[in-house]
Amino acid sequence: MKKLILILIYTIFWRNFLKIFIGLKYYNRNVLKKKKQFILIANHNSHMDTMAIMSSVPSRYIHRVHPIAAADFFGGSKFKEKLMRYMVNATLIPRKRAESKEDVDPIQVMSNLIEKGRSIIVYPEGSRGVPGVMTDFKKGIGYLINKHPHVDVVPVYLDGIHKTLPKGKNLILPYNCKIIFGDSIQFDSFEVDNIVKKSKDEFNKLIKNRS
Amino acid sequence: MNKIINSIDLNAEIQWVIAIILSILVIATTTFWIWNKFKPSKLVNEMILRTRSWWGMCFIFLFAATVNPIITYIGLAFLSFFTLREVYTLLDLRDSDRTTLLLCYFSIPIQYYFAYQGWYTMFLIFIPVFMFIIIPFFLVMAGDTKDIIRSMCILPTSLMLGIFGISHLALLVSFPEMNNDNISGKALLLFLIFITEANDIMQYVFGKLFGKHKILPKVSPNKTWEGFIGGVLSTTAIGYFMGFLTPLSSIELILISFCIAIFGFMGDAIISAVKRDFGVKDMGNTIPGHGGFLDRIDSLSTTSSPFFHLIYFLVIV
Repeated sequence: MKKLILILIYTIFWRNFLKIFIGLKYYNRNVLKKKKQFILIANHNSHMDTMAIMSSVPSRYIHRVHPIAAADFFGGSKFKEKLMRYMVNATLIPRKRAESKEDVDPIQVMSNLIEKGRSIIVYPEGSRGVPGVMTDFKKGIGYLINKHPHVDVVPVYLDGIHKTLPKGKNLILPYNCKIIFGDSIQFDSFEVDNIVKKSKDEFNKLIKNRS
Repeated sequence: MNKIINSIDLNAEIQWVIAIILSILVIATTTFWIWNKFKPSKLVNEMILRTRSWWGMCFIFLFAATVNPIITYIGLAFLSFFTLREVYTLLDLRDSDRTTLLLCYFSIPIQYYFAYQGWYTMFLIFIPVFMFIIIPFFLVMAGDTKDIIRSMCILPTSLMLGIFGISHLALLVSFPEMNNDNISGKALLLFLIFITEANDIMQYVFGKLFGKHKILPKVSPNKTWEGFIGGVLSTTAIGYFMGFLTPLSSIELILISFCIAIFGFMGDAIISAVKRDFGVKDMGNTIPGHGGFLDRIDSLSTTSSPFFHLIYFLVIV
């Protein structure tokens, strides 16, 4: 049932809407087709980012892909939480790391999902930030990949999508934009700092070869 | 399916043009293919890419223009939409212009509805009169007066380039007085597009072959006097021989083809200057080898309204 809703929303509605009206172009989307489980890391400037990425996930296992969202922004009320769970398939995490034992550890939530065989979409920048500018990655992504070195990490560069729905606006407008999938990252070592640096480098490579 | 096939009514003239277009494409494809086999170069590669795109564009256009008038309007409306989107992507507009942009997009269906109904006066004044007042007022309502003049000038002008010109193609098909026994809007549409694109190609070919003296050295290095004169002359000749699509006399044909050639050159030059200001080579990368939509239809957006009104003046009045 959940799968059907997600396919209706993303594969049918959002994919066509984004392609025809917004002017989104998918590059190298087939990377995802061969993979069963993956961690997608993307730059984040707008709420449309999640729509664009979810619409490019193959419909066969769209129900097993979870965007990771900040609980303090998207949580709030019960209704909002339900909406996020069913319409976006999102998993909410607190933005701060656990300080006491009662707190939920964000890394632990993500790594539980991966252990269950799910794929996740992470924005390692942590927030939407300034439009069109990529900030440094948070270390959390390093800890996560360190725990699960066997899972494919696929970088996704979103080019110009922030114009369609900038921060603080609620009107979606058409602009030509691109979503570019890279090949999965081959890490040399699985030290936390190394992972963060390497994935950032892969992103810069994607940005360089985008045209 | 039968219904669709029955609704395609092509008179002999239109069938002739389709045959001519297809044979030109076949000849061009084989020529460049052979050329590439013997002497491969960057130019030939670009030519092959361009011809391949021409195949696609011709099929889409012929499908849209001949099958059903409704498809013609929807197709042209989407062409306007894609063109506007391309322009707004390149323009660095203010965040406070976003509501007005939505209004600009909404004027597309309205304008094409007027074209569909064939309401001549409403069609003519909707953008140059109403939108030129409403758009600045919407910008004022957004409340941000910093750099407002730029937006006030750009947005209505983009409508003129992207919608007003192109929608005249739709009006050709629907205008009641242009669709009677001795004159067919579809044939005129084919004539206009054939001549405009032939003008583009001829100016390009003559410029590449003989080009020496630059006509607009600061705007576009590719435009030369040789290309311009050769293009205008050959376009006039082509227009003269394609005259069987129109009810015009020989002198009128030569006049109209000459005007199309000149206006086509103007549109090309205008968009070249715009691109220079944006600092880009092409408006987009939607059509391989050609660039964006506006790179291809730049001349069409300036030839269609003069063509329509010349025909109106010569044939109907």
